[in-house]
Amino acid sequence: MIQRSYFLALLLLLGITLVSQLFRTQLELINIALIHMVPIITIALRGNMRATMLITTLSVVLFDLLYVPPQYSFNVHDLIYIWSFILFYVVGYIITLQAQRIHAHEIKTMLLNTLSHDLKTPLSSILGNASLLLSQPKLDATTQHESLSNLYESAQRMDRLIATLLDNARLQHQQTALPKEWCDIEDLVGVAIAEFHSIEKRKRLHVHVDTPMTLFWGDGALLTRLLVNLMDNAFKYSYASRPILLRLSSTPQTIELSLCNSCAPLAQKELDAMFGHFYRLDNTADISGNGIGLAICKEIVQAHTGTIQAYNRHDGICIDVTLPLLRHPIDAIKALS
Amino acid sequence: MMPTTLIIEDDESIALLIGRTIASMGGSTAIAKSKSEALTLLSQHAIGLILLDLGLPDGDGKELIKMLRPTNTTPIIVISARSDEKEIVTSLDWGADDYVTKPFSIHELMARVRSVQRRLVAPVAIEKLSYCNALSLDHESHTAFLHSEPLKLTPTEFSLLAYLMLHPNRVLTHAQLLREVWGIGYQQEMQYLRTYINILRKKIEPNPTQPHYIRTEMGIGYRFYCHFEK
Repeated sequence: MIQRSYFLALLLLLGITLVSQLFRTQLELINIALIHMVPIITIALRGNMRATMLITTLSVVLFDLLYVPPQYSFNVHDLIYIWSFILFYVVGYIITLQAQRIHAHEIKTMLLNTLSHDLKTPLSSILGNASLLLSQPKLDATTQHESLSNLYESAQRMDRLIATLLDNARLQHQQTALPKEWCDIEDLVGVAIAEFHSIEKRKRLHVHVDTPMTLFWGDGALLTRLLVNLMDNAFKYSYASRPILLRLSSTPQTIELSLCNSCAPLAQKELDAMFGHFYRLDNTADISGNGIGLAICKEIVQAHTGTIQAYNRHDGICIDVTLPLLRHPIDAIKALS
Repeated sequence: MMPTTLIIEDDESIALLIGRTIASMGGSTAIAKSKSEALTLLSQHAIGLILLDLGLPDGDGKELIKMLRPTNTTPIIVISARSDEKEIVTSLDWGADDYVTKPFSIHELMARVRSVQRRLVAPVAIEKLSYCNALSLDHESHTAFLHSEPLKLTPTEFSLLAYLMLHPNRVLTHAQLLREVWGIGYQQEMQYLRTYINILRKKIEPNPTQPHYIRTEMGIGYRFYCHFEK
């Protein structure tokens, strides 16, 4: 995506240089300056500040080198041109900011759509099953049990989604001051596993603790949500009944988590997009989960200044999380003896 | 016969659900929809157990705990929305006996009720030995056994396990554990507690990442789970 905008920008720069060189006798310097704004505006509209600044610099350099007297030199005789260079940057900056705001608005709309879908699906199952049970008191035992199980499962799904949303709201509001405490990652893994009521799922999940784990200074509730969402996702997109492997390790500077499942490989593009807001594989219509799970994982990891990435393994997909230790725990055993 | 349970809950369907369940177990219940109603009922009836929702229309539920304790020792189980960890910890500090979070399963609530009632019938006597499934612990000789094999525990590990086993099936807050096992002044030293719980789990749990005995109550504390309570 970003590579493509750089490519486009270079193409544009080449194009305008060609046009400006061809018509340089007919065009005044002011027109050429305006033409050099075109790639800046095009890239700025994509909302990536780094790309904008890079293209602006290239544009300024080309403009200065080829047209501002003295030509073919970086010297500038008239200081007024320095102002035009600054103006190039200002325009790029402002347009990028606006583009980012529009993008954020689009995300909000998408969030609303996804949410209403994900909340209404289990809700309609609850309403439907409840009204079936109310209106037909003489259902046979099997149908009745099936209907009640559906009710229960849908309610649990809603509960998990609401918990995710509440955590997300907390992330949005308290980005600067998460309620951090000393967390034992192994302990959080246990709490996360306990959220899965199915014995079958619990048995499929294998946890390997590769090194003794140091305590981590973080938001325990959010880190638990991270683990629950990652596990939920690993189960959902794995071949049925194949094991899911969670490895934990700690280095002097970091805590590492790696969760691998078994499934068909994904294209690099899909792996990159996985943590974007509301990304879902293929069509969104009938996937039982919600598109915000992994996006929230990324936000939780970022709130702890860590990194998260997905990659193909020989027979499945792994997601690696690295969390830097910003505070080092005291050696509790030594401190007491 | 079970003494009357007072359900203080403003949501009618939840109050009814709890009432029905207790009735099916042969207990009697009274329902109060507000704090003031609860106080009236408490003065008129002999109440054996209080189930208290923290979000009440006429004020904070935990204020009621403060008003009742320490003169009234009726066990209190707090019902709360899940995001209120601080509220729960405060309620426990002020004298509530246990808690459940919404949405709770009725089985979970009833397990808490039974556990509180058992404590009421047979208050924890300091006995020489504590047992729980494959675990046993001798408070006098400071030894613990797992499947009859002696466990190698340091004095701190032993004190922690002993305290947990003396208070089975009830929530023990972080501050409480630190105070009781490490002493006054250690209430903020979460690192100790986390580290020692981790070590203890590795020594007693068949699968430390899916603990059976020492269960974590996120943001609140730990619970020593024991089916066959002594």
